[in-house]
Amino acid sequence: MRNVFEVMLLLLLLLLPLVTAHAGGQPNSPPGKPVLTSCRSPEKETFTCWWKPGSDGGLSTKHSLFYRKESSDAVHECPDYRTAGENSCFFNKNNTAIWVNYNITVVATNSLGSAYSDPVEVDVVYIVQPNPPENVTVSVMEDKGWPFLRVSWEPPRKADTRSGWITLVYELRVKLKEEDDWETHLAGQQKMFNILSLPSGGEYQVEVRCRPDHGFWSEWSSTSKANVPHHFRRDNSTWILMTVFFAFTFLIVAWLLHLNRHNLKRCILPPVPGPKIKGFDKKLLKSGKSNEIFSALVVPDYPSTPSSNYEDLLVDYLEVYVPTERELQLEESKDPHDDRLKSDSSTSDSDSGRGSCDSHTLLVDKEAKEEARQAECGQTRTEVQRSLKDWDALTYAQIDMVGRDVPSGRVKTWPSLYSPLPRHSSGPLDQQSSLQMAKQHSLSTSSFLAQEASGESYWDVCSHGELPRPLRAKTPPHRGLRARSDADVSGAGLKRAPAGPRSLAPHTSEYVEVQRVNNKDVVLLQPVVTGCYQALPGEVYSKVKRVDSDNILLLQREAREEDGYPGAEQENTTQKASACVYAAVLVQDQMAPMVNGYVDTATMCTLTC
Amino acid sequence: SNCFILLLSVVFLGVSTQPITDGRLFSIAVGRVQHLHLLAQRLFSDFESSLQSEEQRQLNKIFLQDFCNSDYIITPVDKHETQRSSVLKLLSISYRLVESWEFPSRSLSGGSAPRIQISPKLSELKTGILLLIKANQDGADLFPDSSALQLAPYGNYYQSLGADESLRRTYELLACFKKDMHKVETYLTVAKCRLSPEANCTL
Repeated sequence: MRNVFEVMLLLLLLLLPLVTAHAGGQPNSPPGKPVLTSCRSPEKETFTCWWKPGSDGGLSTKHSLFYRKESSDAVHECPDYRTAGENSCFFNKNNTAIWVNYNITVVATNSLGSAYSDPVEVDVVYIVQPNPPENVTVSVMEDKGWPFLRVSWEPPRKADTRSGWITLVYELRVKLKEEDDWETHLAGQQKMFNILSLPSGGEYQVEVRCRPDHGFWSEWSSTSKANVPHHFRRDNSTWILMTVFFAFTFLIVAWLLHLNRHNLKRCILPPVPGPKIKGFDKKLLKSGKSNEIFSALVVPDYPSTPSSNYEDLLVDYLEVYVPTERELQLEESKDPHDDRLKSDSSTSDSDSGRGSCDSHTLLVDKEAKEEARQAECGQTRTEVQRSLKDWDALTYAQIDMVGRDVPSGRVKTWPSLYSPLPRHSSGPLDQQSSLQMAKQHSLSTSSFLAQEASGESYWDVCSHGELPRPLRAKTPPHRGLRARSDADVSGAGLKRAPAGPRSLAPHTSEYVEVQRVNNKDVVLLQPVVTGCYQALPGEVYSKVKRVDSDNILLLQREAREEDGYPGAEQENTTQKASACVYAAVLVQDQMAPMVNGYVDTATMCTLTC
Repeated sequence: SNCFILLLSVVFLGVSTQPITDGRLFSIAVGRVQHLHLLAQRLFSDFESSLQSEEQRQLNKIFLQDFCNSDYIITPVDKHETQRSSVLKLLSISYRLVESWEFPSRSLSGGSAPRIQISPKLSELKTGILLLIKANQDGADLFPDSSALQLAPYGNYYQSLGADESLRRTYELLACFKKDMHKVETYLTVAKCRLSPEANCTL
């Protein structure tokens, strides 16, 4: 009976491992292959290797490490499995050779078999990873009122930097306590570092790590903390930013001002309004009743001739040949009288605007101009008489000042030194002229020049050969008006006014005003400026009949007389005129057909005077 | 090379061995050898990366770096031995190491930087070490001239092998060169620190 018990027990014992094995569910197997994970040396004097074991196959597995040095076939086993912990092998100083290749293998062994890991070649020199630096201290210091951090540390204890065996370089990082990003600084081989760029106050955290010149970075040291007081950070960059910002703003403002300079000029420096003429009504001017306007200005007793001669006094001026452009509405909105007066400011009196003998301005009707008025620049002028009936019909005639070669009708008028040429819409030349219309131009060089600066005149500056403001007559060319008035008409041999610009300069800028027309239809001229003024008994206006080759203006009464006494008249006029006339009118050879006694005054002599 | 010539002239101007001169020379020599070591490292890593992955795995298995042409030179292999060696011994060993590479380095191409010539740099370094030796030699002549003239036993080793071995030979060449440069760097640094007055010489 007891034998059966023993046999059964024995069987049980024998079967137990099988049972347990079945209960475990895993068959035993040789171990899995271990893997060498890393080998590291902290100070280039010793090193440690770690491995990761594979599966143990259900059985207790033993791992062992074997190594072989280069140039030697002897295989050695790891001297120390414990010092470095589990699954490690520690090589102490005696077993460590530098600049020698170690061939290391780990073997896992269990009862069923063994597994070899892949061999690893190790040269201690290239696997150095030191310990972190020690004794990291952070202190807050101050430099000229700004705080900064001074960090100092020591190399890891085991690394022998003193003898030069190992050379370490350091790196530190710093951040505020509440921040997430570190700011790193390389410190080289030194063991102290100043952190100057502290954005603000608060608690700062600093960490340091090190690395040999050929090796791996150590772990970061433990965090050291320091409290920095709050301070306002203002440095050069702030000033620079502010300066740039202000400069930029200033540039933008200047640019805007530049763009609007016209508006600003108008706003800040408004155009000076001219003096108002007593009795002159702008609205009348706009309404176009030129007669009424001038009648308002007329001094009752001027002129003093009987009204029966009124119509006789009408003088046709130059035949103005004007282009159709209407853009010469330059001074549309301006008061022609004002301009005239303004331009005459230097030499004229601000009277009602009638052309007195004293005044140097003459209100010229363009129509009158068209009526064969010879326009001269700086020379004696025959009296111009024009109709002011249609003010709107007046346009500016652009008198060609260059010379005779101006084919198309460009009558340029000169600035209102003489007198402004009122606007003239296209309308028939009004032969009627009122006494008031008779104006005379007188021009003096100086005033002329002065007028030029006004810039608001109707007339072009003719004396300079420039056409600062060419005025286009609005009358259509079919009117057959041509005005050839040259800028510079001066008689040869006549006294010339000084200080005139050359080329087209008027040599003289003295005008002659028509004193009167005697009953023989002779225009009596008298100079205005100098002492040529003679108080003639009466003033009459005459029409210019023609200009002969001697550059003498022949005047006639309208439709009344042919050149009855041309000679006499000539003499008379010349006599009288030459005494006071400074310049003569040169008449172009081609003369416009005389329409209604209009004389087409040729272009000025300019060059030939 | 201008730097060295200047130093030569300074030394030959009758200045006896002065620690200050030594320190300056040492610094220059250490700097140069560091540069050479970095060059060697770069050459080696360039070579390894240019290999196919298959060959890279084979390298460790087949192309074991068992042989270096400078193996005949006995060098200290750990800190203890290095500390035990005198400055002069360290200098002489460095000199021999550098010299042994003068000829084989000509076959070391620039690789990624073909313009860099290693051989002239080695010559300059050798000159500098010689200066240091002369400066530190006192009394007994511990520098056996005979060994300087001794040719490397395997001087033609790397030229004798066939072309199919070129890959393996290049690997060995580069690895040995890298290792030797690091040796010289360590020896010179230790020697410099031993001679420098300040305690903490790595600063």
